[in-house]
Amino acid sequence: MNDTRSTLRSYILAIAVWIATFVVAMKIGAVTDASVDVLVELRLPRTLAASAIGAGLAVSGAALQALFANPLCEPYTLGISSGSALGAVLGASLGLNWMFSGLVGTAFLGALLFAGILYLISLREEVGSLTLLLTGVMMGFLGTSLVSIWLALSDANGIQAAILWLFGDLTRVRLDGAVFTFFGVAALCVFIWMRWRDLDALLMGEEDAISMGVEISSVRRRLILLISLMIGLCVSAGGMIGFIGLVIPHFVRKTVGSLHQRLIPLCAVWGAVALVVSDTLARSAVRPYELPVGVVTALVGAPAFLWIMIKRRGIR
Amino acid sequence: MSAFFGAFGITFTPHKRENPILEEVSFELEKGEILALIGPNGSGKTTLLKAISGLHSLRGRGCSGVVQFKGSDFLSLSARERAQRVAYVGSELNPEFPLRAEDVVLLGRTSQGGSLLHRMSEEDRQQVQWAMERTFCWSFRHRELASLSGGEKQLVALARALVQGAKILLIDEALSKMDLNHQAQVGKMLRSLAREGWSIVLVAHDLNLASEWASSGILLKNGRKVASGLMSEIITQEKLRLLYPETNLVVAPNPATGTPKIFFGATE
Repeated sequence: MNDTRSTLRSYILAIAVWIATFVVAMKIGAVTDASVDVLVELRLPRTLAASAIGAGLAVSGAALQALFANPLCEPYTLGISSGSALGAVLGASLGLNWMFSGLVGTAFLGALLFAGILYLISLREEVGSLTLLLTGVMMGFLGTSLVSIWLALSDANGIQAAILWLFGDLTRVRLDGAVFTFFGVAALCVFIWMRWRDLDALLMGEEDAISMGVEISSVRRRLILLISLMIGLCVSAGGMIGFIGLVIPHFVRKTVGSLHQRLIPLCAVWGAVALVVSDTLARSAVRPYELPVGVVTALVGAPAFLWIMIKRRGIR
Repeated sequence: MSAFFGAFGITFTPHKRENPILEEVSFELEKGEILALIGPNGSGKTTLLKAISGLHSLRGRGCSGVVQFKGSDFLSLSARERAQRVAYVGSELNPEFPLRAEDVVLLGRTSQGGSLLHRMSEEDRQQVQWAMERTFCWSFRHRELASLSGGEKQLVALARALVQGAKILLIDEALSKMDLNHQAQVGKMLRSLAREGWSIVLVAHDLNLASEWASSGILLKNGRKVASGLMSEIITQEKLRLLYPETNLVVAPNPATGTPKIFFGATE
């Protein structure tokens, strides 16, 4: 019973902090007494999108770490985001600026393409988790190097937006796109959460999980599908935002343990908080300039990660 | 007439390898039996346990064999159904993530399913307490797994297997890091489980432990069964010479219990 109360307390705390940061993010900006238009058209979509993307990245990071029983996994490990980057850069330079309310359409297509390849590979029964993981990493390298080639051979002016996007960019999201992302991420979080028993068992490693009754191949397929959709959605809405997906799950595990029934919802809320705070910093720290939000999350996230690793021995 | 649990003609060749690790190994396990798998390093004991529990697939090239549970094909069952019938206890519990001992034991209930909103049913709670008390780890249930000693982790692993609801335990070197006190207590516990109707396959390098707790045994060498029978029939000087030809071993009865014990002979 004590356990239930402490769980409830940790949910309430997380949601309260999220609401507080949301309100602060809405208040801070270039104009101090912002009109309703500015709030609704600029800050609300941006803060909503930051919440959704932060939640999506943290939850997919937590699920991937369990799926591969590897604390160093994060949403970008599987290379799906490199597919997005490739799609975005190709789209921008070929003039295919197909957008859905600020979501980069070609980035989502790129993510789907890479996720599809990975999914097809995961269908083969003899492919183990390590092979799958390494395939993802290699596809990531491949995608990144193709992006680099394209950037080197392109006219710099035309693709500047795409380059900014590579460092994380929430400036383009509009209200309906943000709402779409928010509900998409929420639905995917629920579907991933529903597999908490399997995720818990997978923490012990694949072989132990099978011996405890986890149908590894079907569970892995479903999780890869859900996580890929989540990453595709997050990356096409906000670009490449690093570290949230790696660091937030470790922080949350420190406070509530590794079991996913609690871990997944709390990762979602604390991921949202982390990205709302980072984005607020990114657009207000060096006014009138705006930092790419991916740079801020890495600047804060990298030392934070080192801190939990060395000082608190969060991971071995 | 079919046995409670039986493995027939198990042959296993790893992916893309020529020579099989196991060749035509068969055995039957009765209800209430404790069977020891004995053999030198690399003789295929662990592979055999993994193959019969379904962790190694027997569908690949160079693999064959049938495993029966109460007369029906065991390996065609789903992972979940297998876990409800057979529990495998490996030799290492080393998760990369912080977990408390009782959380690890509760994971043994995965195959039982349950409500998404309640992590632990009343039955789960009772099972976890029962198993952890039986394996002497209830007192440190709140401790992080990473802070436990190797022997304590093995007690936790054993408790996790006990809550699965399976009546067959495959134990792979799972007593090796326990102190003498725990080895004796766990051995006694395994024997009482067997009297209650559980069946146990035990892999132990320590032949003296195996001869104390198991009722019968199988000697494996290079993936083949070289002898099987009651412990008193297979723990003999000539049978052991088959397994360990380079070593001078002497077998003599335990003065207290009469079970065969192994000693190093005189070294020249």
